[in-house]
Amino acid sequence: MFQRHPGANKDRAPLVLLEQVAVRYGDGPDILRDISFALAPGTLHFLVGPSGAGKSTLLRLLYLALKPSEGRVTLFGRDVAGLERRDLPPLRRRIGVVFQDFRLLDHLTAFDNVALPLRLAGVREAEIKKHVGELLEWVGLGDRLDSLPATLSGGQQQRVAIARAVIARPQLLLADEPTGNVDDRIALRLMYLFEELYKLGTTVLIATHNESLVARFPHHQLHLEGGRLALRPRLSAARH
Amino acid sequence: MSPAPTIWRSDLPLGKDDSSRFLPWIVGAMVYLAALALAGVLAAGELVSGWRAELSGALTVELPQPVEATDADRQARLQRVLDVLTATPGIAHAEALGPDAMAELIGPWLGPDAGAADLPLPDLVAVELADDATVDGTALSQRLTAAVPEARLDDHRDWLERAERLSWLVRLLAMMVLGFVSAAAALAVLFVTRTGLDIHREVIELVHLLGAPDRYIARQFQFHALAQGFVGGLLGLAAGGASIAAIGWLAATLGGGLVPLARLGWNDWAVIAALPVAAALVAMLTARIAVLRILGRSL
Repeated sequence: MFQRHPGANKDRAPLVLLEQVAVRYGDGPDILRDISFALAPGTLHFLVGPSGAGKSTLLRLLYLALKPSEGRVTLFGRDVAGLERRDLPPLRRRIGVVFQDFRLLDHLTAFDNVALPLRLAGVREAEIKKHVGELLEWVGLGDRLDSLPATLSGGQQQRVAIARAVIARPQLLLADEPTGNVDDRIALRLMYLFEELYKLGTTVLIATHNESLVARFPHHQLHLEGGRLALRPRLSAARH
Repeated sequence: MSPAPTIWRSDLPLGKDDSSRFLPWIVGAMVYLAALALAGVLAAGELVSGWRAELSGALTVELPQPVEATDADRQARLQRVLDVLTATPGIAHAEALGPDAMAELIGPWLGPDAGAADLPLPDLVAVELADDATVDGTALSQRLTAAVPEARLDDHRDWLERAERLSWLVRLLAMMVLGFVSAAAALAVLFVTRTGLDIHREVIELVHLLGAPDRYIARQFQFHALAQGFVGGLLGLAAGGASIAAIGWLAATLGGGLVPLARLGWNDWAVIAALPVAAALVAMLTARIAVLRILGRSL
């Protein structure tokens, strides 16, 4: 279903680089402060921490919905502060996002929701039909292509949201609680999907509360607490 | 799951807005007014060019009726005038208007039963110039007054100039109406577009985050506006066309030739029929410019 990103893991310059980043809204307190880390191409990290720690804000920074109040964010080698409005769409198309609240378009079918990033990228309809059908089949929704989100369960909507995030083979995949509404079996299946993408060269960052999932997959963790970051070592736990 | 052609498929639920539901009716009303105004412009143009075509190469000699003139006097006077005219190079034909022709002339104003003989009407001589001929009007006028002192040569130029000035004024006013109507339609589209951007803010933000450029969003709004403008334009055209046809029919019934709307030709109707396309294009362009400007100011 997927092919390896050309040049993945060859160029080890970080895909994401945050240096001394702080975020605050207006004159309010810092939501994030002194955040510095780098994500190399083709790596998978978990972003963990309690509710309100700033995980979603950090993800918003990375999917270019927010600019830092202080510090520097570099994505794909470009300083976000220097980006013009017209520079954003091509960069955003290299990023896949699974939103915590899914953010599916209610008036579009599961198929059309997943097809949207490909249509934005100008992919031909014949290819869209093939790839979207395959992916929705893979996430277990092959029989719900024409269903509107309102007719899908929470878990099914989440799978559509994940399919939409990965369909265009993003270089950077950001997922906010992607397994929050699915049972363990589906959660594992989705994690295997993320692992497959990361092995093919996608840089993956998964914000999650699911400690058992984190324990099960041996990847680096970024631990956020009170808006500050603590880097945890790679867990050595076995995958299964 | 048969996808619509890319150009018409909308990822934004624009068709479900209450605000845009009324746009076709607003555009329809504007196109209705524009159709009437345009019909006025075209009819005024047709009327003047018709008059010009009719009157070019034509002169009229007018002989006021003396109070106590006998028929013999009048015939002698007319003959002297005709002699002068036929002897003038460049004049192809000269003919005194008889009672039937006079009755036809005054018929539209006084009714078909008005007898020309009962009124102190002047004697008229219709003169046709030969093709491409020019006649020195001043010299001819002098020769005519030498033959019949009260004869007056009318080359219709004064009247035609006044009619043309009036026609230009009518056209100017109608063009202003067209301008106002277009501006009003554009403002309605602008308002609906701004409301649409506001209503669908979240969806637009999401589509942006998925990598859509502003022009992608603009394309969705502009084709929605194009479709609505065209539907509204057709509604307005249907109503406007019916009204113009009704006015033309009434004009033909009431006073054949007096009211210019009856003179619209196929070319004029084609121009009026293009109004829905123009309305759709105005709507599309307005929506596109509005979306690009508003989104350009955001974030």
